[in-house]
Amino acid sequence: MSESPVRLLLVDDEASLREPLADYLSRQGFVVQQAADAAKARSALLEDMPDLVLLDIMMPGEDGISLCRHLVESRNLPVIFLTAKGESTDRIVGLEIGADDYVVKPFEPRELVARIRSVLRRTAKGAVAGPAAASEAHYEFDGWQLDPLKRRLVDPEGTVVPISSAEFRLLVALLDHPQQVMDRDRLLDMVQGREAHLFDRAVDNQVSRLRRKIEVDSRDPKLIQTVWGGGYILAAEVKRFTPEVN
Amino acid sequence: MNRRFLPKSMHGQMLLSVALALLAAQLLSGILLYRAEQRRIESTLISQLAFQLVRDPQIDLRGENPRSGRRAERRRLRLERVLESPQLRGDMRDPEREAALREVLQEQGVEVAQLVVLSRPFSRDRYLMRRMREAPDLYRETFDSDGMVVLAGLKRANADRWMVARAPLRSRSVRAFRGVIFQTLILYAVLVGGLALLLRRISRPLAALTARVERFGGIADTGEPMKLSGPEDTRRLIAAHNAMEARIANLLDEKNVMLGAIGHDLKTPLAALRVRIESVEDDTERAKMARTIEDITDTLDDILSLARVGRSSDPLERTDISALVASVVEEYEDMGEDVALGETVRVALPVRATWLRRAIRNLIGNALRYGSQARIGLRRDETHAIIRIADTGPGIPEGEIAAMLEPFTRGESSRNRETGGAGLGLTLARAIAEQHGGSLALANRIGADGSIAGLVAEIRLPL
Repeated sequence: MSESPVRLLLVDDEASLREPLADYLSRQGFVVQQAADAAKARSALLEDMPDLVLLDIMMPGEDGISLCRHLVESRNLPVIFLTAKGESTDRIVGLEIGADDYVVKPFEPRELVARIRSVLRRTAKGAVAGPAAASEAHYEFDGWQLDPLKRRLVDPEGTVVPISSAEFRLLVALLDHPQQVMDRDRLLDMVQGREAHLFDRAVDNQVSRLRRKIEVDSRDPKLIQTVWGGGYILAAEVKRFTPEVN
Repeated sequence: MNRRFLPKSMHGQMLLSVALALLAAQLLSGILLYRAEQRRIESTLISQLAFQLVRDPQIDLRGENPRSGRRAERRRLRLERVLESPQLRGDMRDPEREAALREVLQEQGVEVAQLVVLSRPFSRDRYLMRRMREAPDLYRETFDSDGMVVLAGLKRANADRWMVARAPLRSRSVRAFRGVIFQTLILYAVLVGGLALLLRRISRPLAALTARVERFGGIADTGEPMKLSGPEDTRRLIAAHNAMEARIANLLDEKNVMLGAIGHDLKTPLAALRVRIESVEDDTERAKMARTIEDITDTLDDILSLARVGRSSDPLERTDISALVASVVEEYEDMGEDVALGETVRVALPVRATWLRRAIRNLIGNALRYGSQARIGLRRDETHAIIRIADTGPGIPEGEIAAMLEPFTRGESSRNRETGGAGLGLTLARAIAEQHGGSLALANRIGADGSIAGLVAEIRLPL
């Protein structure tokens, strides 16, 4: 992606935010096209396909969620939501319909850039093969369940165990490769998220945090075992299943 | 008087007062009945005696009609004729009966020279005892051998003998009372029972309404309006309550919509501002601007959350509190803050994790702002899980602790812009603790030398 500049479509009805943001992103080396509402966004898409869409949720007329559904389903475009709401329900709705990430207004412009790059990196790595379909299926291991969409980890007694996003990505990396030795570099590579700058010095730290939450005795781990000189291995068997929608 | 035994409910009090009123009324009518019965017995007694004395004082039926003598003897008690007054030593004269009998006799045209009425036990009456041996059946029918006998001795003017009539003194009849008691029982069953049913009809919807109002407290979303039931008055009350509930729900909805709009309308320009300051060349200046925008955003979030906390639609989920506390502490660790997680125990409670996380965050943020260091722990006692956040700051003057929990209050020592925050953090933390049925307590930590070593905030959540 270093050869040709990344093209972004920025959809937001607020010109006061859209224009300075477009300027800022242009200065960061992106080619930015603007649209004030969903209709204009749709017609802009006909002329030129962007690499990624930045989408406001609350807009007059067709809202961002509806447009996002269209973008993800028929165009397979990566989407980052710009939202004024921070409620967890909005977050889940956004992610359920296939948005790749979201930022809450007012966001730090640098963080937005970091996320744009992170999303593009993920989608460029061949994750195009329907990440949505795979990510909806729940994981089950040793009586535990993980809903990857809601990032909700439930212990064998049905108690929700809150985990951070770094812990979540670490756990998913381990769950995707059960009973395989995962060395630190590989784990780091797989779990790099927006906290990448924090994470790379602390795979061990994240593992020990995760152990504190899911091991019966974190000093004698049974689920996530240390391989001397190698890395970590998830000792449990992992099943995937799609929960029934009620 | 011991008030503990008095019923407190409307139901009980009304039943008790009706029962007491009924009891009083029945007692009164019982007394009246008893007295009427007494009078009836008395007048019967007097007429009996008078009849015997008046009927035929001269003729002994037995002598006149020997064939039917036995039958006649059966039919009446014979008069005794004696020369002396029948009064014996120990007999009590009865002046009231004497007067009554005298009146009756005079009405019948009897000229009374002397009259005595007295009563004595059957067993002391020799005449009766003798007659009883002669005709036991007759006397046994009439007299009660354990009872009393009333004697009336009459000496007519120009007669030389006394005529003595006898009548049994009937013991007080309980028959009349039996009637009253029976009547009372029926009245009780019908009136009190019926009333109990009626009162239940009134008090049941009232109890349901009370429960509803208590539940209503913070969370307006009780769904369906209450069903109208009970008598008209209660129905009107329920209808009025439903209308009020709807109005409150509308107000709260409006408030939420308005706050949502405020949030959106303020956050968009803030976002624009945040983007624009990126063009500021001076790094320190830009950082300060960014910090200010962050502060405004945090305050705005606190205000919006505080307004929403009572009406949160998030479901309660059984959550591992130790993992939740740990994950908040880890966020601060990752930011390079001086936080440490001490002793924790595994406790799982039904909570709204997003909210509780926010409360803990506010308390840790507060601890770091005023004390630069936060020590977090989780323990449990018999009734509560206790999340404890201790700092090394200056604490709070004892008198100001309560005020600290009120909105927009900040410690005296920190009333400047640099510390940021509008003082909503603690209020919000408390509101969240209360939303979970728990509480937030602040206390100064006293060091070894007796001075204040910091502040301890504890969220107590019921197990």
